[in-house]
Amino acid sequence: MNHPIRRRDFIKSSLRAASLLALGTWCGLVTKAQGKKATSRKVIILGFDGMDPRLTDMWMKEGKLPAFQRLTVQGGFHSLGTSIPPQSPVAWSNFITGMNPGGHGIFDFIHRDPKTYIPTFSASATEDASKTIRVGNFVLPIKGGTVKNLRQGKAFWQILEEHDIPATIFKIPANYPPVSSKERTLSGMGTPDLLGSYGRFRYYTTEPKEIQEDIGGGEVHLVYVIGNRVEAKLPGPINTFKKDRPEAEIDFKVFIDPQNPVAKVVIQDQEFILGEKEWSGWKRVRFPLIPSQSVTGICMFYLKEVRPNFKLYVSPINVDPGNPALPISTPESYAKELEKKFGPFFTKGLPADTSALENEILDEEEFLEQDDFVLEESRAMLDYELGRFDSGLFFYYISSTDQRQHMFWRMLDEKHPAYDPALAKKFGGVIENTYREADRILDHVLGKIDKDTVVLVMSDHGFNPFNRGFNLNTWLRQNGYLRLRNEFKQEDLEIGFPSTDWSKTKAFGLGLNGLYINQKGREAEGIVQPGPDKENLVREIARKLEEFTDPKTGEKVVLKAYVARDVYSGAHVDEAPDIVLGFNRGYRISFKSPLGRVPKDVLEDNRAKWSGDHMGAAEIMPGILLANQPFKAESPALCDLTATIMDVFGIEKPEGMIGKTIFE
Amino acid sequence: MWFFNSVIGKIFDILFLPFRGLSPWVAMIVISFLTGLLMLFIFRHTSNQEGIRRIKNKIKAHLLELRLYKDSLAQQLTSQGKILSANFKYFSYALKPMLVMIIPVMLILIQLNLWFGSHSLDIGDEALVKVKLMEGTNPLQTDIRLEVPPGIAVETPPLRIEDEGEIDWRLRATEKGIHNILFRYHDETFTKSVAVGQNRLSKIAVLKPGKGLLEQAFNPGEKPLPKNAPIESVEITYPGRRMNLFGWRIHWLIAYFGLSIVFGFAFRGVIKVEI
Ligand SMILES: [Zn+2]
Repeated sequence: MNHPIRRRDFIKSSLRAASLLALGTWCGLVTKAQGKKATSRKVIILGFDGMDPRLTDMWMKEGKLPAFQRLTVQGGFHSLGTSIPPQSPVAWSNFITGMNPGGHGIFDFIHRDPKTYIPTFSASATEDASKTIRVGNFVLPIKGGTVKNLRQGKAFWQILEEHDIPATIFKIPANYPPVSSKERTLSGMGTPDLLGSYGRFRYYTTEPKEIQEDIGGGEVHLVYVIGNRVEAKLPGPINTFKKDRPEAEIDFKVFIDPQNPVAKVVIQDQEFILGEKEWSGWKRVRFPLIPSQSVTGICMFYLKEVRPNFKLYVSPINVDPGNPALPISTPESYAKELEKKFGPFFTKGLPADTSALENEILDEEEFLEQDDFVLEESRAMLDYELGRFDSGLFFYYISSTDQRQHMFWRMLDEKHPAYDPALAKKFGGVIENTYREADRILDHVLGKIDKDTVVLVMSDHGFNPFNRGFNLNTWLRQNGYLRLRNEFKQEDLEIGFPSTDWSKTKAFGLGLNGLYINQKGREAEGIVQPGPDKENLVREIARKLEEFTDPKTGEKVVLKAYVARDVYSGAHVDEAPDIVLGFNRGYRISFKSPLGRVPKDVLEDNRAKWSGDHMGAAEIMPGILLANQPFKAESPALCDLTATIMDVFGIEKPEGMIGKTIFE
Repeated sequence: MWFFNSVIGKIFDILFLPFRGLSPWVAMIVISFLTGLLMLFIFRHTSNQEGIRRIKNKIKAHLLELRLYKDSLAQQLTSQGKILSANFKYFSYALKPMLVMIIPVMLILIQLNLWFGSHSLDIGDEALVKVKLMEGTNPLQTDIRLEVPPGIAVETPPLRIEDEGEIDWRLRATEKGIHNILFRYHDETFTKSVAVGQNRLSKIAVLKPGKGLLEQAFNPGEKPLPKNAPIESVEITYPGRRMNLFGWRIHWLIAYFGLSIVFGFAFRGVIKVEI
C-alpha cells in the first residue's frame, strides 16, 4: 500500500533526523592523519566538477586558459570517458573505486525501494537509534543511530593507506559519510546540512511567496514588521530526543531603523547589523535538544531588502566544522583543525544555493556572491594543504564549475527557453570567468610543485544545454507500459506512484536516468517474468526509446538506451535500473519525472534557471583530462585514473578495478 | 566614584604591568596567588581560630566514633547528628570572614573582568557600538554623530531602536591600537575607547558608564560620561574571552577561583591559618 508522500516529506524521511542524533557513536579516537611513507613521487589531482572539454578547448584556443594551455603542451589534453549515467555521484564513485556502477552500486542520485516503489537517496542512509528509553517527554538513545555510506568497494586512498602512502582528500563527492581512513579526508557532495537535507534555505519576508521545490528545498516564513521589529524563528533539526519529534528552533529578532536601510539581527548571544544587500558571514547557532544535549550549526544571513518589503535570507544551516554533529571528516579532528585555522566554512555537499536562485530568493548577482565565498574558502584551504604536502597524494575539488554551468547555461544560448537578453548581457561571461578561475587555481598549483609531482586535472563529466524535459513515465504510459488506476485521469503529480495500477504496469521510470521493469519476485507487485519475457521487453523498450523523436524539433530525445546487463559489471549489477537513459544533446529527464510523477505531456520546455545539465549519453558527455607528463591512453576514462594512481605508486591493481593506467 | 575606580584601576595596572606581553595565565596565577594569601590573611584575623580548631577536632572524633561503632545503629545515628551540628557550627565560625571578604573580592573580580573578560578586536573584526540613551530620550530626535579616527571604520548609518532608546553602528577594526571614537551631540563631545589587536594581556573597557553609581561601580574601566550627556552608557560588543587550558576553553572566573583555592590550601600551613 502506497501513501502519497510529498517531496518534502520524502526528503525529510530519507535523510533527516536520525543522522543527527547519532551523537557520540561515530566519534572515534582522534588519530594522527597520514600514512607514514615518504614517497619519491607525488600526485596532485585537481577535480573541477563538470568542466566540459569543448568549452575548455575553445577557451584554451582563444588564449583564455594559459595554465591549461601549458599543461596541454607539457603532457596532453584529452576528453575523459565518463560514467553511465554521467551524474556526479556515479561518476565520482567510478573514480574513487576504479569500478563501474555494477561494482560500486551507485547508479543514480536516486534509487528505489522495490518493496514500496518509493524513491530513496542512493548515497547514504541513516538509521534511528536502535535502543531508546523514554523519560517523560524525552526519548533518550542508549545506542546511537548511525549514518552509512552506501557506496561499495574500497576507495583508492584506503588502498594507498594499506601501502602506508599518505593522502589528503579534500571534498571529493560521493564520500559521505567519509569511509574509514586514517588519512585526512573531508566529505563533499552528498554531505547534508544540519537538518539532514541537501540544503534548505529560510526566507523571512512580509511578501508572500511560493516555493517550487523540484530543484531543491527552502521555506518561506511570512513575518510582520511591528514597531520596526520582526520576530521570527529559525528552525533546526528534528529533535529526536523528544517524544513527538518536534523541530528544534531558535527565536530571533530583527530591529529595523525607521529611515536608514539597516537592520540589527539579535540571535542567541549575538547581535550584528546588516545594511541592505549585505551578507553576515558565518554565524554559529546552537539548537538545544535536551538539557544536556545541543547541536551547533553555522549559517549566513543576507539582508535583501528592508523596505518596502522586509526580506531576509538565511542560508541552509551547515554542519559546524568546529563541532560537527555529523561525520564530515577523518579523522574527526581534521574538520576542527581547518575550522580553527580558517574559521567556519561551508560543509554542506554542494554549497551554492541553486534552489534560492531558482526560486528568485537570491538573484544572479547574489547567488554568485555567495558562491564566491565558497571559492574563497576553498582557495585558502588549497594553499594550506599545498604548503604541507610533501608525500603521497592530494586530491582537491571545486564545485563551482558544475553549479555555475547548471544555472548560467541559459545565458549562452539564445534558443534556450529561459534565455533573457538583458540577463545574458550581464551574466553571459559567468561560465567563461569560472573556467578562468579554474585556470588561476591550476596556475597556482603548478607554481608550487617540484619535478617529482604528477599533476592530473580532471572533471567527472562535461556539460550541455537542457532545453527540453522528458517525462519518462508519461512516455511509458502513452506506449502502454504504465497504467494509472483511473485511465481517464490526465496526469498524476503525486510522487511515489500512488495512482499507478501495478497489475497492469510493466515498466516505470525513477531517478534521473533510470527505468525499471516491474519484475515479478523483485518489485512488490511485479508482473513481468524474469528471463526471456523480461529480456524481450527490455530490448523492445530500449529500441522504442532510441527511435522516439521530439515532434517540436525532429531530434532524437534518447541517444542511447543502455541495457544495464550490457554496460555494467560487478557484484551489484542486479541492483541497477534495467535501462539507463542516455539523453541527446539539449534533453534531460524533466524535473517532475525522477520521483515517479506522470504529467500530461511527454516533453516540455525547460523554463527553469537550471538550464545546463549532463544527463546525456556518456558518449557525448565526456569530462576533461590533462596531465603534466605525456600519457598514451587513446580513450581514457574515469576508472583508468584510479588505475593510474596505483601505477604511479607501484601498487598492484586490486581485483575489481577495471581501468588501465594512462601512462602505458 | 571615578576617583576611587581610577585608584584601584592603577593598582591593577601596576600589578599587571610586568605581565602584559605574556600569556594571560601568568597574570592569572599571580593574582590568584595574591588573592589566596589575602583570603588566608583575612581569615586568620577575622575568624575564631581557636573555635575552628576545636570544632575540627570534634568532627574528627565523631568520624572516629563512626568507624569504631560500625555495628551500633544508635551510636551511628548519634555520631552523624553530632557531625552535622558541628558542621553548622563550623560554617557559623567561617561566616564572619566570608562577610569581610565579600567587598575586596568583589572589587578584585570587577577589575579582573576588565583584564580577562573580553578579547580585543582583531584587525578585520566587526563590532557594534551601542549607545543607550537616558530614559525618555527618543533616538529618532536625538542627533548624535559618530566620528572615528583612522584604525576604525564605521560601516553603517545609525540604527535607531525607539523602544529600547538605543542607537547602534557597525564598526570595523582596521589598525592595531587603542582608538578613541568620538560622539558629537550639539556642542558637546565625548569619547569611547576601542581596543584593536591587543592580543595578550590587556585591559578592555566594554562599557562606558553614565551617571548611575552602580553602573560606574561595575564598569570602572573608563571615565564615566559627562553629567549633561543624554546618554546612559556606550558599549562595544567585544568577543568574549576564554582561557585556554590544554585546548579546553574555560571562563576566567573558574580559573581564578580554582587557582585561589588551590593556593589558599597550599599555603595555609605557611601562614598558620586554621581553615
Ligand atoms: Zn552537476
